[in-house]
Amino acid sequence: MTISRRDVLLGGAAAAALAPIAARAQTSEVVIGLTYPMSGANAQIGVDAQRAFETAVDIINNDQDFDLPLARGTGLPGLGGAKIRLIYADHQGDPQKGRAEAERLITQEKVCAILGTYQSAVAVTVSQTCERYQIPFMSADNSSPSLHRRGLKYYFRASPHDEMFSAAMFDFLDAMRKKGTKIETLALFHEDTIFGTDSANAQTKLAGERGYKIVADIKYRANSPSLSAEVQQLKAAGADVLMPSSYTTDSILLVKTMAELGYKPNAIVAQSAGFSEQALYDAVGDKLEGVINRGSFSLDLAAKRSMVGKINALFKTKSGKDLNDNSSRQFMAMIVMADAIDRAKSTDGEKIRAALAATDMPGEQTIMPWKRVKFDEMGQNNDADPVLLQYVGGKFVTIFPPQAAVAEAIWPMK
Amino acid sequence: MTAETIIQSLASGLLLGLLYGLIAVGLALIFGLMDVVNFAHGEFLMISMYATFFLFAFFALDPLLSAPLVAAALFVFGAVVYLLVVRFAMRAKANAGMVQIFSTFGLAIVMRGLAQFFFTPDYRSVSHSWLGGKTVSIAGIFLPQPQLMGAAVAILAFGGLYFFINRTDFGRALEATREDAGAVALVGIDKNRVFALGWGLGAALVGLAGAIMAMFFYIYPDVGASFALIAYVTVALGGFGSVFGAFAGGIIVGLVEATTALVMPPSLKSVGIYAVYLLVVFIRPRGLFGSI
Repeated sequence: MTISRRDVLLGGAAAAALAPIAARAQTSEVVIGLTYPMSGANAQIGVDAQRAFETAVDIINNDQDFDLPLARGTGLPGLGGAKIRLIYADHQGDPQKGRAEAERLITQEKVCAILGTYQSAVAVTVSQTCERYQIPFMSADNSSPSLHRRGLKYYFRASPHDEMFSAAMFDFLDAMRKKGTKIETLALFHEDTIFGTDSANAQTKLAGERGYKIVADIKYRANSPSLSAEVQQLKAAGADVLMPSSYTTDSILLVKTMAELGYKPNAIVAQSAGFSEQALYDAVGDKLEGVINRGSFSLDLAAKRSMVGKINALFKTKSGKDLNDNSSRQFMAMIVMADAIDRAKSTDGEKIRAALAATDMPGEQTIMPWKRVKFDEMGQNNDADPVLLQYVGGKFVTIFPPQAAVAEAIWPMK
Repeated sequence: MTAETIIQSLASGLLLGLLYGLIAVGLALIFGLMDVVNFAHGEFLMISMYATFFLFAFFALDPLLSAPLVAAALFVFGAVVYLLVVRFAMRAKANAGMVQIFSTFGLAIVMRGLAQFFFTPDYRSVSHSWLGGKTVSIAGIFLPQPQLMGAAVAILAFGGLYFFINRTDFGRALEATREDAGAVALVGIDKNRVFALGWGLGAALVGLAGAIMAMFFYIYPDVGASFALIAYVTVALGGFGSVFGAFAGGIIVGLVEATTALVMPPSLKSVGIYAVYLLVVFIRPRGLFGSI
């Protein structure tokens, strides 16, 4: 049989006529975009995030007996049991690449929502792009407080931001003071992008309000070949508490350089990021006995809520690691987003946005120590209570707030 | 600011500067020999750090013991890179400079990608080593032993290199090939062999630096990038092609960086380095000790 030009045209017309049907049939699949650093200095974060999202999607797409939205039954019932498919895009920690990748996810991959991005600096551009295309964006693990204050309609964040985290740190310091611990002076140590800057601003404000003196405020360049000048200034200041806001590479170098230059503060209270990463403790764990880290997640919760331990086990088989502050927030962001898409019964950006705005998920149906998930008009969940964890004997124990604590804080650190 | 802070800063800057010099000298050597800038220099550093890490992880070999092995392995690697990549890049008839830049730059991206694929992007560290975490303290000034060892190795390597270039036949062949690659063929020197050995030597030196650095720095696929940038400015500052220039350039960069951090916010400490470089360009564009 020979194929004439007319056959081809006819075939094309038939295909065009059928296309809308095919498109409709595709709602058996909901495509969500994820943009993370998959190469460059923070590539490992992207790799671990992938495992966290896969864990969440496994639970949603398959029938699992957890008291978590969408766990029971398969897929999204609101969309006729549609399954979630994830598409990853590498932003390399670069805000401009983040913008381009978000654009590609929306226009070419036709994602109905985007989650990201680890670095807050990248979340700025990605969320702006999403706003322009009216596609909901959820900050899974960005913590800069300025992110939700830009008047964006399509921006959401289920987890706490650095003002909430920092407030918890100062509540804790106040409580220690009340017990008679001498805490007068603080040293801030932070990297020079939006994450470090916002965190330090929040801490400076809180220190002023609560009567702590900041004796050193060291802003450093991320991924510096050396931090010895910085650590010397910290050492010369000799503050009671060191408060770092650093990604993994700088955290490792900070702790090593502190040991080399003989600097040991009474306490380190860290703004997560690098201080939540296994790589830091593998490298210099022996020097970190007693370090205090903020988090939105605590494995201690498994004792009260058994699904936390089971979900952690699922994640561990994929990644070889326990859930941490970052991966737990990534996991929850996917659950919250999927729940909204399910209630929206649509993959339309505006409808998902409306469903997200109406979210009211009780804390017991999460893996977090949160009261609930409910967004304010800026898209921020204010009921996500942070916890403080202390690294003791090779693992993290919850020491604050009292209702979540399983142990007393060890002060000073060893 | 106390005298102690200033002395500590200068001491740390000097130790780091010597290491910068050791990292940069391979670059200077290769450039001086054949006018090729190796844009994969940082990745050479990265694989030597990984080599040290794996020798430690699988054979419990201390970085001090593995340093000669890593340097030897990098020697072979450098020579192979010349024979398989650079030799062909140099044959380009038009835009030879661009072809060389892109071929070594491409090599850098490939090496980084392969490292991420095979070694994962996770951060590695040599957790225990003989010198790791140990510090000498003199009158309140702390000198970390790995960095002291790095400085000693750097000085020895420069001494050895000086002797090698000025006192041995191969060194003279190196100098002669650099002067006139065409003429040496007439006296029976194989240009390709000299170039390959030059690449091997340059890579071996950065291998030595990588093994030392593995004692106190984290290791991941992109680790070379920030050090490579410093190596380029070190070479440009010290003088293109000058081995002694790389040595002096490294020390200057280390000291300038430390002093800048004393008087300015630490996030701006690299500004000092580039300001000094711009000044040098203004006065002596070929670099302080440049001969070309």
